[in-house]
Amino acid sequence: MSLLEFFANHTYRMVFFGTMTIGLVSGALGSFAYLRKQSLVSDVVSHAALPGTLLAFLVAVTVFGVDGRNTVGLIIGAVIVGTIAVLFANGVANTTKIRIDSAMAVSLTLFFGAGMILMRVIANGEYPGKGGIQDYLFGNASVITTADLYTSVVTGGLAIVVMLVFWKEFALRTFDPGHASVLGFNGRTIDVLMFTTIVIAIVIGVKSVGLVLMVAFVVTPPAAARQWTTTLGSMVTLAGIFGAVGSGVGAYLSIAWGNVPTGPLIVLTLFALFVLSLLLSPRRSIVMTSLTRLRARKQLQHQLETTP
Amino acid sequence: MTTLACSSTNLSVAYRAEPVLRNVDFQVPVGSVMGIVGPNGAGKSTLMKALLGLVKPLTGQARFFDQPLAKVRQRVGYMPQSTSVDWDFPTTVADVVTMGTYGALGWLRRPGKRERRLAFTALEQTGMADFATRQIGELSGGQRQRVFLARTLVQNPDLYFLDEPFQGIDAKSQQAMVEVLHTLRQAGKTVVIVHHDLATLVDYCDHVTLLNRRIVASGQVAETFTRSAIATTYEVSEDQAAFLEFAS
Repeated sequence: MSLLEFFANHTYRMVFFGTMTIGLVSGALGSFAYLRKQSLVSDVVSHAALPGTLLAFLVAVTVFGVDGRNTVGLIIGAVIVGTIAVLFANGVANTTKIRIDSAMAVSLTLFFGAGMILMRVIANGEYPGKGGIQDYLFGNASVITTADLYTSVVTGGLAIVVMLVFWKEFALRTFDPGHASVLGFNGRTIDVLMFTTIVIAIVIGVKSVGLVLMVAFVVTPPAAARQWTTTLGSMVTLAGIFGAVGSGVGAYLSIAWGNVPTGPLIVLTLFALFVLSLLLSPRRSIVMTSLTRLRARKQLQHQLETTP
Repeated sequence: MTTLACSSTNLSVAYRAEPVLRNVDFQVPVGSVMGIVGPNGAGKSTLMKALLGLVKPLTGQARFFDQPLAKVRQRVGYMPQSTSVDWDFPTTVADVVTMGTYGALGWLRRPGKRERRLAFTALEQTGMADFATRQIGELSGGQRQRVFLARTLVQNPDLYFLDEPFQGIDAKSQQAMVEVLHTLRQAGKTVVIVHHDLATLVDYCDHVTLLNRRIVASGQVAETFTRSAIATTYEVSEDQAAFLEFAS
């Protein structure tokens, strides 16, 4: 398929730009989760986004009697329940002797289980507009509508703006939480802002990518970007670019090859970027550093032999 | 009249139900260099953290220049142990030191030329100016300590809390650290140092607090740093002479 044909098609354009937006936002904001060693938070959030979305759907249909598919409403539901799941995991870790990784696994499966039950409830009930709710499990990029795209661009853009406005505070808190407190910055306020933006980045992707694979969008681009960069700004920028490019390329290939699911192909593309980064980055790759060392040794040897 | 830079009354800290500090009345006169010494697990770092609100005390409170900390934050600087952060963080030496100016900037205001200049001056003071553009991950242990010291200096506080500044550092870094301490003392600043080396304590400090979960003794070095006080603090008998030869 030529690029011209590709971009002439409305559905293809939606898939392309929709996934690119998700990749850009989740890559950039995922950097903070990565640096705080809380990458798995994204897995908790994406799994809890399922009951959040379905609850929002049920509330919209049964309480307000409106269309349950309103994207903004679904995102709000997912953000609220996703945040509760993260708070629950942190609360368990802080008040018991259970470690954070176990607490996250408990929280993730609990909310996912609740989501599966809600999904069955909705499937069995008489709810208007319930078609397509199973997309949240594995994602379906081909159903991205113009409204979906605009919503992702606006909410994702908002999250990016919050990150830029509080850049100094985010950087300070991420590098040295104690120092931030002593300087007078309320840690909880920064954490709420930071994790809300991360939650938004995850939630806008769940429907297209699926809750199972969403974690790859948050973890892989920052991990790849870290290999090339030396400052926080360049890392966040490159992670955003990696996320967007990986998603764009993956989306294009999935359509060009035909009948290949988009989300999984993007994950594979991102993984390819990750492997290339690990192998080729000049400062951190095992291959490149040993090559540099070998060359330096050769040079030294030559020097010592010629000038006794 | 305010003569105390820092004071705590009945400060106690417990991790779960285990008391780490008991009824600590800690007093630091303005202009003094106060060393805190004690065995491992005596609560030296915890005392600092509790004073600065990083650890929630079970009882008691701390005041700085006769005010609660929230009112005088800019006058109080803290240099944590360098192992408290991940040095693989993607940032440069200059950026880390500039973070020391963030408190004065407050929310939302960005560091500018002035803050960059202040950071560079602080790096010069600690002999780290040549490293300004380096990745922090490339630094040695002593250089990391000097970067953290510069980050504290850039804030220009009146009271310095330094947690183990001499921990695992090379001779050059130690010299830079000592020079800064002298400068601070001459400028009339107050310094509190968690220190583990009894042999060098008298070189740096004019006051000392012997701590082992409670204050064993506290005051001027000449009167406080005695054989019997050290023996009590470290729970050794007084005839273990080799250990106690540093007493004044």
